[in-house]
Amino acid sequence: VSLSVPYGPKILEHFRKPRNRGALPGAQVSQEGHNPLCGDRVRIELLLDGDVIADARFTANACAVCVAAASVMTELIRGAPLEDVASLTLPEVLAALEADLPSARLACARLPLTVLHTALTLHERRAAPGAG
Amino acid sequence: MSEAAGLFEALRRTERKAALATLIATQGAPPRRAGARMCVGEGGRILGSVTIGGCVDARVIEESAAVLADGRARRVAMALGDEDAWALGMTCAGTVEVLVEPVDLTRDDDPVVRAQREVAEALRAGHEVIEVAPLDGTPGRLVIHEDGATSGTLGDAALDAAAAARAGEVRGAGRSLVLDVPVGDATHALFLDLQRPPATLVIVGATHVAMPLVELARRVGYHTIVIDGRERFATRERFPEAHELRVGMPSDEVAGLPLGRATAVVLVAHDYKYDLPVLEHVLASEAGYVGLLGSVRRGRAILEHLAEGGVPAERLERVHVPIGLDIGARTPEEIALSVLAQMVAVREGRGGGSLRERKREEAATRAAERPSE
Repeated sequence: VSLSVPYGPKILEHFRKPRNRGALPGAQVSQEGHNPLCGDRVRIELLLDGDVIADARFTANACAVCVAAASVMTELIRGAPLEDVASLTLPEVLAALEADLPSARLACARLPLTVLHTALTLHERRAAPGAG
Repeated sequence: MSEAAGLFEALRRTERKAALATLIATQGAPPRRAGARMCVGEGGRILGSVTIGGCVDARVIEESAAVLADGRARRVAMALGDEDAWALGMTCAGTVEVLVEPVDLTRDDDPVVRAQREVAEALRAGHEVIEVAPLDGTPGRLVIHEDGATSGTLGDAALDAAAAARAGEVRGAGRSLVLDVPVGDATHALFLDLQRPPATLVIVGATHVAMPLVELARRVGYHTIVIDGRERFATRERFPEAHELRVGMPSDEVAGLPLGRATAVVLVAHDYKYDLPVLEHVLASEAGYVGLLGSVRRGRAILEHLAEGGVPAERLERVHVPIGLDIGARTPEEIALSVLAQMVAVREGRGGGSLRERKREEAATRAAERPSE
């Protein structure tokens, strides 16, 4: 059994040396999500500076594709306006990973993005005027 | 809970008074460790055992009846005949010493009852504790806590202080001891019973191997914790006997546990997504046993990945992979048995091989060393 994955060198490289992995002290936004069947778990934490993501980190107990997707995603969103991040798509994450994944593995790459979007939606609700 | 506290709790429902028997010393290969307890209620109920049953327990029961009748503690030394020694698994005749003392289960201020309550609380909080009993028949109990604090008394402040000063000796030996403690012109025989919190088994991966492993480990006395990221797997239906079920990020869950030398961590998810991050945490801890389900090849790939990430080689060496003793295990139940056997062997500093072969080798070595006539 090799821990290498056959979906391109960039996925392997991000899996072996993930960027922005670990807890983010003082994060204003923290959201965890999981795939109930395979058990992949990802937590995304964000530090905001107004409407811009000043810092983003992730923690994952997940497969190589999911870890690599979370890693490259945090690179994409650091310093980005919330508005742009909210419209980030899976093809953009896959393009950054230079990966052509079979459909069976798309759910693995999608999980970090789903968690990120859930985090932003909940943050927006909390920040909305009149929110408790 | 301490062994005695558990016995008291079970007896208290039907009995008011009981005799508590404590194995304090053995010569020969002991079938149970010093500190083993048996309780005999005034109504005749018997719980626990100071040996693995048989003649010694029968004699202790007789002594218990006498203790219940006159309310006086006794230190009983029993010489074992060859037949008795053989029955107990000893290689030669020897002696067994047992302290038998009266306990009033209805009184919270009974020194033994109070001490057991304190011991149970300390163990529940994960702390080791030394319970000191006088062996001269006087009532009294001193409890020495991990931080050096004491509670209760042996009836004399100077003796309490002298006993507490010997705690380091017991901890150094790693087992309960009978010590002669001088105070002034007198020497007091005391039993210092080292009691440790139950060993903990942390299982990562709520899989089909984890299920029998929980059942077997619980029987052996482990506190069992099962961790998985999937709530559909880590269910009470699948793990009715687990002490704790935790669903969440496995590496977070493990990082939140005290992983001391009395903790075994077994990774049976057979999935690197859990194995890698969990091992990073576990190998930075003092966990006494670390086992990973998988082949040699799989194990090598995972350990190489961890080495690339900076985990030092001496830590990686702690991982037992493939996991378990070589007993030809194939089914989940058999694999669980081989894992548990290895956990116990590692805890006791044994190789886990055949006892018969070891004894034969020892006998052959002794014969070779014996001077020829």
